[in-house]
Amino acid sequence: MTEPVLQVEGLSVDYEVGAGTFHAVQDVSFELHPGRVLGIVGETGCGKSTLAHAIPRLLQEPPARIRRGIVRFRGIDLLKLPRWQLPRVRGTGISMVFQEPINSLNPAYRIYDQVAEAIRIRRLRESGQAPGLVSPQEPFDYSKPKMPNVGEVLLKPLVPSKGPASRRPMFSKDAQDLRATVLEYLKLVRINDPDTILNLYPHELSGGMRQRVMIAIALSGRPSLLIADEPTSALDITIQAQVLTLMKELMTEIRTSILFISHDLGVIAEMADDVGVMYAGHLVELGPVDQVYRDPRHPYTKGLLRSAPSKYKSEGPLPSLPGSVPNLSRLPRGCPFHPRCVLAHADCTQDPGPKLTKAVEAAGPEHLAACYYSKEVPGIP
Amino acid sequence: MAGDARATQPAGWLSRKRKWLTSQLTHLRSGLRGFLRIMRANPLTLVGFVMVVLIVSVAVLVVLLPPIGQALVGHPVSILPYGPNYYPSPCPTRIVTTGNYSYPTCTLPPSTEHLLGTDNLGRDMLSRVMAALPLDLAIGFVVTAFAALLGGSLGLVAGYWNQPRTIKGAISVAILRLTDIFLAFPSLVLALAIAATLGRGTLPTVLAILLTWWPYYVRLVRGEVLVVKHQPYVTAAKAAGLSDLRILIRHVIRNILEPVTVYYTLDVGTVLVTFSTISFIGIGVPLDVPEWGNMVEYYQTQNLMGIAPWTILAAGGAIFVTVLAFSLLGDGLRDVLDPRSRRALAQAAVPTTVAAPAALGEA
Repeated sequence: MTEPVLQVEGLSVDYEVGAGTFHAVQDVSFELHPGRVLGIVGETGCGKSTLAHAIPRLLQEPPARIRRGIVRFRGIDLLKLPRWQLPRVRGTGISMVFQEPINSLNPAYRIYDQVAEAIRIRRLRESGQAPGLVSPQEPFDYSKPKMPNVGEVLLKPLVPSKGPASRRPMFSKDAQDLRATVLEYLKLVRINDPDTILNLYPHELSGGMRQRVMIAIALSGRPSLLIADEPTSALDITIQAQVLTLMKELMTEIRTSILFISHDLGVIAEMADDVGVMYAGHLVELGPVDQVYRDPRHPYTKGLLRSAPSKYKSEGPLPSLPGSVPNLSRLPRGCPFHPRCVLAHADCTQDPGPKLTKAVEAAGPEHLAACYYSKEVPGIP
Repeated sequence: MAGDARATQPAGWLSRKRKWLTSQLTHLRSGLRGFLRIMRANPLTLVGFVMVVLIVSVAVLVVLLPPIGQALVGHPVSILPYGPNYYPSPCPTRIVTTGNYSYPTCTLPPSTEHLLGTDNLGRDMLSRVMAALPLDLAIGFVVTAFAALLGGSLGLVAGYWNQPRTIKGAISVAILRLTDIFLAFPSLVLALAIAATLGRGTLPTVLAILLTWWPYYVRLVRGEVLVVKHQPYVTAAKAAGLSDLRILIRHVIRNILEPVTVYYTLDVGTVLVTFSTISFIGIGVPLDVPEWGNMVEYYQTQNLMGIAPWTILAAGGAIFVTVLAFSLLGDGLRDVLDPRSRRALAQAAVPTTVAAPAALGEA
C-alpha cells in the first residue's frame, strides 16, 4: 500500500456566530491514496464545503474555528503550519475548483493573465526561485512505492529567491514559452479556440467555459491533490454533463488525487472510486463506491439511496426520510441520526456516538460505517 | 478572408509582431468605440470631459510656453494676453460717480481689448485668471492625489488585515480610530485652523488641506476592500497559492480602482473650492501669488463689487467653471463605472445605430 496523499484525523470545525456555535464538521477522519478519487456526498448544510475549505485552510477564521484534528498532506500537518507558509502549499500542492465559476475569476484581468499567473507560480517554485511545495518531477506517476516527503522545501528554498521574474521583454523566449503553456492547458480542458479565449475577459465567457478555465488554472499548478467543491452545481444540466465528462476524461489523463464534493449521488457514482457520506457534520459511512451503493451499512445512507429518483421505479411517490436535519448548534446526544433512525436503541443516545468501524468483512479496501447496528441495516425495508 | 491574409504573411518574428500590433489596434478601436458610445449616452459627461481637457491644456500652455519660447526664439512666449505681471503705468482711467462723489479708477469694463476687463491697478483680468489656473489646478490634482495615496494606503491596510485580536487587527483599529478623530471635525474648519496655525503661504495651505483630506479616502478604500476581500475570486487566488500581499496588490487594488477614480475626480473640484475658501478668508496664499480665492478676497476688500463687478465675477467664475467641469466628468464616470447606478448603463445599452431593424428584416 502506498503512503496516503492526504490523511485527515479527527477534524472538527466550528462556526462561532451570534446565534451560537455551529459544529459544521465533527471528528471526521479519512485517508486519500495517490491517484484515487474520494467523493464526499451529503445534504446541503452537512459540512461538505466546510470540510473542503478546511483542508487547505481557506476558511474565514473567524467566524470559523478549526477546533482540533490533524490534516496531514504529504507528511506535513497543515493545521500546525504557520499561516504565512500556507500559500506555499496551495496551488502547486493542493489546488481547488470552486462552486461559483461566475465569480471565481477576477473580472479585471484577461483569461491569459489568470492562467499565466498560476503557471508562473509553479515555474518559480519548480526552479527553486520561490519557496513552495511542488509535486515530484513526474507528478502523476503513482507507481512508485512512496511519495517523497518534501516538507523541508517549505522552510528553505532550494536556491535563494531572486524575487519575481516579471517585467520581461514581450517577445522573449520565456513569454512565448508561457503563452504556449497557457494554450496547452486551455486545450487540455477542451476549449476549442484557445487563441481567442486568451484575450477575453471572464464576463465574456459562459458559465461552463469559466469553469473549464478554473479547472485549467487548478491543474496548471500540477497539484498532488485537487479539491473539487461541487464544481458543477452552479451550471445547468447540459453544461454539467459536459464538465463532468471533461473531468472524467482528465482523471484518466492526469492521475492526480481528487477530493470530489457533491450533493448528487449519481455524480459521485460516476466520478469517484471511494465515497464518504456526511450527515450533520459527521462522516457516517466510508467505502468503495460500488460496495457502499450496493450494500449500504448506515441507515442514513440507505435512506438517501432509496430516496434518489430512479428511472426504473416510477410508481408512487419517492420514499423520504422522516424528520429533518438537526440544527448544527444543537446536535442530539450520541449518534446524530438517532431521532430519525428506525434502528435507534437506547445506546444510540449515549455520548460519545458511534465511531467509524469496519462494517463488512471483505477483502480489499475497507468499508466503514458509524453505526452500532450496521449488521441490521440490509434488513430495513 | 482572414485566413488568406494569414496564409500570405511571412512566418517568424515579423509576422508575430504584426499580429500583436493588429490585435492591439483592434483593442484600441473597440475601446474608442465604447468610449464614444458612453459619451453619446450621457452628453453631459462629454461636456465635462471637453471642459477638463481645455482647462488642463490651457494650464499646461501657461506653464510651458514661456521656457519653450525662451529656448526656441530667444524670448518668452505666452498665451496670456498681457502677461502675468503687467502693470500699466500710468493706467488708463475712467471716472466713476457714486452718489455725490466722483473719482478716477483704473478699472475698465470688458471690451475687445480686455475681454474680462481690468482691475483697480489696471491689470488685465483675463491674464490674471489664466495665470492663476496652473496653481489652482495643481492644488486640485496634486493635493487630492496625495490625500488619496495616503488615505488609500491606510484604508488598504485597515480593510485587508482586519482580523480581530491580532497585531494587524490592532493596527487596523488604530488607523480607523485616528480617522474618526479627524472626521469628527468639520473638514473646512479643521483646514482653516491648521492653515491659520501654520501661517500664510502656499505650502502651509496645501499641508492644511492634505491633513484634513486623507480620512475620507481611508473610509472609502476600506469599505471597498472589505467588499472585494470576500469575493470568490480572492479565495480562488488564495487557493492558487498567492501570498496575501500579492493578492492585495494584484487582485484587490485593481478592483477598487474604479470607485476611487470616480471619487477622486469629484474631489478635485471640492479641494479647489476649499483651497480658494482658505485664501478668500485671508489665511491662505499671499496676495502677490495669483490665485482665484485671494483675487476674490482682494477685490472684495477694495469694494469693487459696486463699481467693477467683472473683477470678482471673473475670478469666481473661473472657480465655478473648473469645479463644474470636474463634477460633470466625475458624475459621468460614476455612471459609467459603477454597476450599481443602472440608469447610465441602461442608456448606454440602447443601440445607437439603426442596424438592428435591418438585421431583423434580413432574418
